[in-house]
Amino acid sequence: MIEIKNVSKWFGDFQVLTEINETIDRGQTVVICGPSGSGKSTLLRCINGLEPYQKGEIIVDGTSLNDPKVNRYKLREKIGMVFQRFELYPHMTALQNVTLAPIKVRKWPKKKAEEKAMQLLERVGIPEKAHSHPANLSGGQQQRVAIARSLAMEPAYMMFDEPTSALDPEMIKEVLDVMIDLAKEGMTMLCVTHEMGFAREVADEIIFMDAGRIVERGTYEEFFNNPQTQRAKDFLSQILQ
Amino acid sequence: MFDVVFRNFGFLMGGLWVTVKLSIFALVGGIFLGMLVGLARLSKKPWVYYPITGYVNFLRNVPLILVIFWFYFVMPILVGQAIDPFPSAVISFIVFEATYFGEIFRAGYQTISRDLINASYSTGLTYAQTARYISIPIAFRRMLPSLITQSIVTFQDTSLAFVIGLPELVRRASIVDNLEVRSIQLFGFAAMVYFIFCYVGSRSSRHFEEKSRKANIL
Repeated sequence: MIEIKNVSKWFGDFQVLTEINETIDRGQTVVICGPSGSGKSTLLRCINGLEPYQKGEIIVDGTSLNDPKVNRYKLREKIGMVFQRFELYPHMTALQNVTLAPIKVRKWPKKKAEEKAMQLLERVGIPEKAHSHPANLSGGQQQRVAIARSLAMEPAYMMFDEPTSALDPEMIKEVLDVMIDLAKEGMTMLCVTHEMGFAREVADEIIFMDAGRIVERGTYEEFFNNPQTQRAKDFLSQILQ
Repeated sequence: MFDVVFRNFGFLMGGLWVTVKLSIFALVGGIFLGMLVGLARLSKKPWVYYPITGYVNFLRNVPLILVIFWFYFVMPILVGQAIDPFPSAVISFIVFEATYFGEIFRAGYQTISRDLINASYSTGLTYAQTARYISIPIAFRRMLPSLITQSIVTFQDTSLAFVIGLPELVRRASIVDNLEVRSIQLFGFAAMVYFIFCYVGSRSSRHFEEKSRKANIL
């Protein structure tokens, strides 16, 4: 369980997050949407300790990030993260991208890590690209390798930061299908995305953020059919055009 | 006309061997230290950043020949006994060249996006592991042409070690010259040797540049 309690964050004088409260239970899929600059990505980065926050508390499985003694590297092993621009290691093949952390962090033997990586590449549908470098993969293929790379550490949680917004339209589906399968298999997921079809299919809760605050939350039907704030109505009318 | 070179060929080639040995030590040590200096120059920890930045700024603004000289005369005071020219030269070169390699690596690290590093952290890799497996290899590949150029400069600069009596190629050419007074032939020969080495080096730099552009890997 991830508990976010009254978290506020500033970049200098600029407040990017204001009193965020949210609890994500095991097995839930939470979709975060909102206009750009609303603090969605920053919130994800705070949860796995990539960005510090100045107020409040984030607790992951009972471990508070406020504790200066907490091992952030250990914490990150159980929270996978997928980025908008894939961020594959350009000098390594797809297979090496996936096996690096299991070999170096988990100290798995290379053979075991590679077997596991091949299973994962099969699961995301591109085992034949195992020995290709990222530069020779399409955007959709790169993003699926990135998902496999995160899954290789067997995380308890997966965070997605606009995983399809850098993709050409015809590649969005192949990535969303992988994410939908994951959600249905019971992975706990936190997804920043504007893909409302994905939200409708798997989201247990939708959070709408604006200017660093959570301004609405609810199920897909509640949010979609009956948005409470003008800001959310404007946003929905824009993304549904 | 070049008979003076042929008659002393073995002696001169022994000098080339010293030059090559010094270059290898200077490059291996300088590049390795440079990787770390480059990281330190991007560190957010003030107790890492300021001392290393001071070291880099100081050495980049003094002539190498003074560093070689100064080190050779200071070391005996520090360690309490005379030190051979070769180890003294090796240490001077490593410490000096690491500042130049450090700036090349720093530029290389800065081409790596913040989120690529975050991606590595998010799988549980530590700062040191991320440096070792992600930042350094990527910076190394991206900066390879600059690293080769700086290596060529280092190779040429090793001739400065002759001021502390290191018997490298230039020093040996001048020893023979003192006996036989054939300056043009001897120093002309030394220049040719440097030219051949450096020309091959710079061609290979071009080759790597083309290759990495074609392979489109980085």
